[in-house]
Amino acid sequence: MLFVELIVKGLVYGCMYAMMAVGLTLVYGLLRILHIAHAGVFALGAYMVVTVANATGSLAAGFLVALVVSALAGMAIYRLAYQPILGHPPFVPMVVSIGLFIVMQEAFRMIFGAYGIAFDTNPWYVATISPGGITFNYVEIAMVIASVVLLLGFGLFAGLTRAGIAWRATVTDPQMATSFGVDPVRVRYLNFMFGSALAGIAGGLVGLLNNYVEPTMGGLVSYKALAIIVLGGLGSVRGTLIASLILGVVESFGTIYLADVFDRDAIGFLFLIVVLMVRPQGLLGRK
Amino acid sequence: MTVLARIDDLHISFGGVAAANGVSFTVNQGEFLAVIGPNGAGKTTALRMVAGLLKPDSGRIFLGDRDVTGLPAYARVRLGLGFTHQIVRPFYSFTTIENVMLAAGHYQTGSPWRALTSRSRDAARKRAHAILERIGLAGQAEKSPRALPLGQRKRLEVARAIALDPKLLLLDEPLAGLSSAEATTMADLIRTLPGEGITVVLVEHNLGEVLRVADRLVVLDAGKVLAEGVPAEVMKRADVRQAYTGVV
Amino acid sequence: MSAYIASLVSVIGINMILALGLNIISGFCGQVSLGHAAFYGIGAYTAAYLCKLGVPLPLTLLAGTIMAGAIGIVVGLTSLRVRDDFLAVTTMGIGFVFLGFVRKQKWLGGELGISGIPGSGLDPVVYAGLILLFAAAVIVFSLWLKRSWMGFTFDAVADDEDAARTVGVNVSTYKLTAFGIGTALAGLAGGLYIYFARIILPDTFDFVQSIAILTMVVIGGTGSVWGVVAATIGLTLLPEVSRAAADYRLLIFGAMLMLVMRFSPGGLAGLATMLKRRKAAPKEVP
Repeated sequence: MLFVELIVKGLVYGCMYAMMAVGLTLVYGLLRILHIAHAGVFALGAYMVVTVANATGSLAAGFLVALVVSALAGMAIYRLAYQPILGHPPFVPMVVSIGLFIVMQEAFRMIFGAYGIAFDTNPWYVATISPGGITFNYVEIAMVIASVVLLLGFGLFAGLTRAGIAWRATVTDPQMATSFGVDPVRVRYLNFMFGSALAGIAGGLVGLLNNYVEPTMGGLVSYKALAIIVLGGLGSVRGTLIASLILGVVESFGTIYLADVFDRDAIGFLFLIVVLMVRPQGLLGRK
Repeated sequence: MTVLARIDDLHISFGGVAAANGVSFTVNQGEFLAVIGPNGAGKTTALRMVAGLLKPDSGRIFLGDRDVTGLPAYARVRLGLGFTHQIVRPFYSFTTIENVMLAAGHYQTGSPWRALTSRSRDAARKRAHAILERIGLAGQAEKSPRALPLGQRKRLEVARAIALDPKLLLLDEPLAGLSSAEATTMADLIRTLPGEGITVVLVEHNLGEVLRVADRLVVLDAGKVLAEGVPAEVMKRADVRQAYTGVV
Repeated sequence: MSAYIASLVSVIGINMILALGLNIISGFCGQVSLGHAAFYGIGAYTAAYLCKLGVPLPLTLLAGTIMAGAIGIVVGLTSLRVRDDFLAVTTMGIGFVFLGFVRKQKWLGGELGISGIPGSGLDPVVYAGLILLFAAAVIVFSLWLKRSWMGFTFDAVADDEDAARTVGVNVSTYKLTAFGIGTALAGLAGGLYIYFARIILPDTFDFVQSIAILTMVVIGGTGSVWGVVAATIGLTLLPEVSRAAADYRLLIFGAMLMLVMRFSPGGLAGLATMLKRRKAAPKEVP
């Protein structure tokens, strides 16, 4: 029973990681930037949900605001931070991204206070169901539903719509896509918009799950998401999704069986390093 | 005649397509061997396997008596192999002469300890300068490779390879992209190398220049050696002419 | 020299050794590392553990240096196997694995770290002088390395690995050498730190510390010894100069990282050469 429970709980976390990691993969696939500041967007989303929900009493309003604000923030990050330095070697945008992340984190600390904010009421946190003997609270259920719906929606968008096809073409071969009349800049905005909205929602959900929102909450999740996109072979959405679920499960088992040796947050990276030693191209990457 | 290098039954395929399907030939000490063949015959692939830049699926490569099949490229360089890339790869953050210096001081590169304790770059600079002078780039010594036109970058690539004192030099299309005057100058330059103890294997499309300068030809077609021998005789053969239909 | 000045000098010296070590890895050899603080921690924990067993100072420093360098070489082995972008994430991961490990080890004090470390036996002022002496030696070594044939070879590896192989450079050996030297220096800094702080906590060696060290290197100018030295002094003194700067230290670091990369990716050193060039040849078009 424990075995099944660990797998299921791991998959729930995996869904949350997937929402974070897909945004990172999209940015990496398009611009070859390790977008560490994605963590800031995640925390921003959480703050939007908690402040709006506490002010209006409506979680739905909170998530709506988080969605819009995160998407806009993502587009602003592209325009203000990355666009001016696109021609530079990868080290430069990476350092910019780290700088931006620190600035965002400190800004949250100044605006919202260093000690974090709790939800006034958090009905999803207390309500639980126990299908098959495993107990979930409603936030965990919401996390799974949100990630499946959003990622599936994204898959359909990328596969079926004109804009989605233009986006895929740009990721595969920017020059070719440009010569077919796709505007690469618009695709980039779309990319940041979508990836950041996902991160913002994930942030809100994790805020609910911890019943607490704090300035540094984005850090660990996004570092793990970086590990995930590397495991997934960098730049592959499918690989990222699978790697997210795997990491969720590995962590869930590691927390139980490695508890005396490593803390939870180190397990993902330990796994990453072991995998890279054996398969330098990542778990699912091609050579 | 001493055999300097022996290429034995090399196979490699990319995505199911065989780019080398049993390539075998030998390189004799002091000769100027040209590897030719129509587009897609596998010339560059064969050369890159000899250089250690590609790993053959099967087959062996010998340098002298030594089996170098498993050695990485840099180790083959340390055994006396030099090569130039079809698309030039200078160090863009270095000046022209620094590019050649790094190769000219290669004996200091082998052990990190030796590298750490060697402070003077004068000897390397002197040698590099002599090589640049000989190859006609002395005036460009302090410029960035970015500032050089393609013809000069190609010469820089050859200069860098010569500076390694190779016993065997592999040249991958050094004439490609050059004007006919430049190509002639370059071919003349390469022709002088065997006289200095550098055996040359040249992969080249420019048949006119190849036939003018090479001692011996290996003709590849569809990943196999089609013919081998003295240029005049090889080019008379019907199968060679057929492989080249439309080219010659 | 007052106790306050002595502690300031000690911190500057330690930071300098850390930053110059990272500069050898990232600046000279072009390998990204986002986990430098872990090696600082390895040096510190090794030295502290031995120190509490009664091992004398020179040996604890040596052990910390060797331990950090040896583990650094193992980490360097991954750098040989993975692409550039993987390396940034892998080295970041090393930092988390290190922290996640020491936090769970009772024999290393767990979350509480190691406290009650015996002092160096030297007067704090003399000890600050000793740290400064080590820092000076590291500066001299960095300058030597940069001008040696090894520095030249590192430049080549940083520029184009494939081209470096073409001229017979064993790229793997050189990368490992850079990792080994750089992380050993971080270990030395860790060893020096314990006699100064007398207590070590896991969080001293976290990701933020790695970023702080990276900031010193990037702001000084990756690869420039004097630039990194200047940036280390400036950034270490910054929080001391004003209360506001202390409160917003991280904010200032982050903003500086962004602005420097945007306007002068070569850091202070890049800025200096740019100005010099402009003075020397006002009409020159780059």
